[in-house]
Amino acid sequence: MDEEEYQKMIKRCLRCSICKWIPQVQIKSQKYATACPAIDLYNFHPYSGGGKIILALALEMGRIKPSEELRDIVYKCTECGNCAIACKFLNTLEPLEIIMRLREKLVEAGCGPMPKQKAYTEAVKNVNNPYSEPHENRMDWLPNDIKIDPNAKLLYYIGCTSSYRRKEMAIAAARIMNAAGVAFRILQDEEYCCGSPILRTGEIHTFQEFLNKNVDIIESKGIETVVFSCAGCYDTFKVDYPLYRDYNFKVCHTVEFFNELLEAGELKLTKEIPITATYHDPCHLGRNAERYEQWDGEEVKLIPLISINIPPKPKRTGKAGIYDPPRNILKKIPGLKFIEMERIREYAYCCGAGAGVKSAFPEMALNTAKIRIEEAEDTGADVIVSACPFCSTNLQDGISESGSKLKYYDISELLLMSLGLEPEKLKQALAEVA
Amino acid sequence: MLKKQILEEFQKTVGPENIDDGEVMTNAYAYNWCMELVNCMEEKEPIPFSPIPKAIILPSNVEEVQQIVKLCNKYDIQFKAQSTGLGPWNQPSSENCIILDLRRMNKIVKIDDKNLYAVVEPYVSGAQLQAETMKYDLTVHMPGAGPQVSPLASATSMNGPGFTSPHTGHSARNVLGVEWVLPDGEILRLGSTGLKNNPDWFSGDGPGPSLRGIMRGWAGAKSGIGVFTKVAFKLFPYPCSTKFKLKGISPNYEFDIPDFMKLYVMDCKNYNYLKKVFLAVEREEISFICSHLSGYGLGAIFSNSIESLMDKIPIASTHAPLVIVIAARTRREFEYKQKVMNKIMAEFKLENIIGTKYTPNSLFYAEALRSNLGLHGFIATGGFQSSKGQCDTATVCLNTTKMSIPLKKKYIKKGVIANDFGEGVWMTSYESGHYFHVESPTLFDQTNEKSVNGMAENMNENYQFDLIKHLGAPFFVEGDRMHDKFGPHMMNYHKWLRKIKEAFDPNGIADSGFYISAK
Ligand SMILES: Cc1cc2nc3c(=O)[nH]c(=O)nc-3n(C[C@H](O)[C@H](O)[C@H](O)COP(=O)(O)OP(=O)(O)OC[C@H]3O[C@@H](n4cnc5c(N)ncnc54)[C@H](O)[C@@H]3O)c2cc1C
Ligand code: SF4
Ligand code: SF4
Repeated sequence: MDEEEYQKMIKRCLRCSICKWIPQVQIKSQKYATACPAIDLYNFHPYSGGGKIILALALEMGRIKPSEELRDIVYKCTECGNCAIACKFLNTLEPLEIIMRLREKLVEAGCGPMPKQKAYTEAVKNVNNPYSEPHENRMDWLPNDIKIDPNAKLLYYIGCTSSYRRKEMAIAAARIMNAAGVAFRILQDEEYCCGSPILRTGEIHTFQEFLNKNVDIIESKGIETVVFSCAGCYDTFKVDYPLYRDYNFKVCHTVEFFNELLEAGELKLTKEIPITATYHDPCHLGRNAERYEQWDGEEVKLIPLISINIPPKPKRTGKAGIYDPPRNILKKIPGLKFIEMERIREYAYCCGAGAGVKSAFPEMALNTAKIRIEEAEDTGADVIVSACPFCSTNLQDGISESGSKLKYYDISELLLMSLGLEPEKLKQALAEVA
Repeated sequence: MLKKQILEEFQKTVGPENIDDGEVMTNAYAYNWCMELVNCMEEKEPIPFSPIPKAIILPSNVEEVQQIVKLCNKYDIQFKAQSTGLGPWNQPSSENCIILDLRRMNKIVKIDDKNLYAVVEPYVSGAQLQAETMKYDLTVHMPGAGPQVSPLASATSMNGPGFTSPHTGHSARNVLGVEWVLPDGEILRLGSTGLKNNPDWFSGDGPGPSLRGIMRGWAGAKSGIGVFTKVAFKLFPYPCSTKFKLKGISPNYEFDIPDFMKLYVMDCKNYNYLKKVFLAVEREEISFICSHLSGYGLGAIFSNSIESLMDKIPIASTHAPLVIVIAARTRREFEYKQKVMNKIMAEFKLENIIGTKYTPNSLFYAEALRSNLGLHGFIATGGFQSSKGQCDTATVCLNTTKMSIPLKKKYIKKGVIANDFGEGVWMTSYESGHYFHVESPTLFDQTNEKSVNGMAENMNENYQFDLIKHLGAPFFVEGDRMHDKFGPHMMNYHKWLRKIKEAFDPNGIADSGFYISAK
């Protein structure tokens, strides 16, 4: 969002509170009607998407100053974008983009991000990952028996979280590709953070350094397609990178890729997995994974006070999210009974981890995860499945914190089991979880 | 900000995490929709901020509310209560005021499906309650402001027309038992809720004089007479099957239209004819929705953006359209309602343009059932307010509409409000056509000072016009300035209202910016 649009939009919030709820026509119960973890947990209006727009306006008007009070509210937000979906049901505001821009402004004013987020930005700068892990350990997840083709045109981009924290996801993805006979390569020690955690806290200059580094490396290797098992990396490459720089390779998420392999008969699911599973749409794979469409139209004044965009300006409403591929995969797993939660697809409730919340406000992340876990439990499922290492960590934390009997699996783990991978190998994969 | 000792007392009541008197929070709560218009009408700077509240406090139950109100009395601080908080009516009129945001009071206390009422706390939204009542084949009245707002606020403190009013009534007429913290901190339980033996919520009146009129009257006291912490109101049969299935992605959902639901739009060409048709339809008690909208309004309820409104020019060019939705739970009921509609259309020689000239997206039906049509008013400029509004007979409502057209055109010509040919209107009926409400949604640009000033002038002139032409009391007769203007022309009602205020709020603690002060 450019400055001009920001200045226009921040004056137009109706304070209607629509953004606190999932689209009104989708509300199925009192319990699961809400959309925004921040307002759900902290209650005061400024925590909502619309509330943060008011803060942006008050800041521009000089009614409030950059302060810790302001910073804490602006950063207690997972940038899940559920507010934006709800607002755009009828309105035209972009609360998520306004929040992102407001964070940039706080960074420029020397007020943001949160101290913990500053620390991980430094870590990214120093060791290329936000976990402060040594760069040379990035490939530690890789078992010896995984086949890598150094000349392949397909790149598997693992991402920091799967490399260091959710190794089971990286292993499962790699084994599935091996099982399907797909030739793929990895960047080895040339893989760096995608920049998502720094972009989302408003540190756009550091973000651009990493963006350039990653695109340069990938393009220099003649790679045609990059596949991601991390929803955050995927979204950042797919949606955010093109806002700064074009690139010449295709991107896809493993759920799309594996779904295509299943459809093409390249993967055969043989083993029954007798579970009842529900699926959590990661925000970065669902509603937010929609590219900005180039709009070269113009705003035409029709009559005084009424202008229209010719052609109509595309609204990002979550329509290009990846919703069906993971569901198709789950429905194809023999023995698995699939059941939906109330808040799904473009209006799915966030897991609570994103945009620096997990590090700066761990209690907010955990409490949000507990809400989502309860929603999953209420379906009667015994397993919650997702497709993002960040959701994985946070939802598993939510499960242990709330003492839930629910089990968490990444979708690739279930796929792997259903491919009939020998138990020892599966154990090997699962052992990495610990 | 509050003095430290006072802040501590409030903190003791609600817990420190539920009160905030910081610069950021209090400024954010000073903002609201149409506040720039209110400021302008009061000859203040036309910014969308009210006076900054001293603090925001989030009580969780009636006892905490009571304690807060008592502390306000003790320290001579005013309070303003808000439920879902949409609109300038929620804003403090002075800086000596705290806001009670009732968000944490969000329980559905009871759904009595046999006796057809629900009891709720302030922060239950219309959509939440409806989702739960649908499980009993019942529905709830919601104001045009939409399903995200509080039915408690509408039932106790605001006016309360809605799109489904022919079926679900009017907030003023639906309210039953009430739990009410008076401005001095006493708790009053109204109607059968206050009975000593077997108190229950089914009636708003007990033996003896009724206080419902004092509590809210026609338009509500907008927090000027205390805080309502629970309310019971009527529920209504859901008009058709409660199966509710949407496909696709927001906002382009496709809806499985229930079997027994049908939309009619008839162009009645002129107001006289419209009145006759309106009354004929309503007398039959068959409609779920029965509204007259201007051509623009008609286009808007079928559109989700200004650009998509442009395709609706053929229907937007109708002259006096009447929009009717019928819905039924059995085929027989549906056939009966259709027969009645056919008979009326034959009698008045009217055609249904739906299915011939225009077919709306299926989502329209979902929004109609879930009371989401009012917010479509925002799609053109993002800013609108009704420049006038009355509740009266069909004749008076249509007269006021007709007579206001030249006035509106004057402001359209100045370029300060958008051109709706002066006809922008929404009119709906209540209780089988016994009475009607009409309002003139007017589009302005809240970010353009000239437009805001012009809109404010337009509203003021409209009020004056209503007075001179005897067109009844507009909705927005709020605050001392307006009551003092209208009261002398209307049997000095303002003097009586002041006496009520004085009796209930001797210390003037409930903010009266949108009610009346004892003076
Ligand atoms: C698009 C649009 C359409 C609209 N259409 C209609 C319509 O058809 N019919 C209609 O009636 N209104 C309509 N309005 C105005 C609307 O009613 C109010 O904006 C809305 O009801 C406010 O709702 P709320 O539930 O958010 O209540 P709030 O904004 O929370 O409260 C409304 C008023 O009641 C007071 N209040 C709230 N809760 C309490 C309480 N517990 N105790 C004491 N006082 C309290 C507040 O101080 C405020 O003055 C419309 C507004 C918009 C934006
Ligand atoms: S951000 Fe959009 S949905 Fe939220 S209050 Fe503002 S206008 Fe309403
Ligand atoms: S992005 Fe998510 S957490 Fe942040 S305000 Fe919007 S809905 Fe709430």
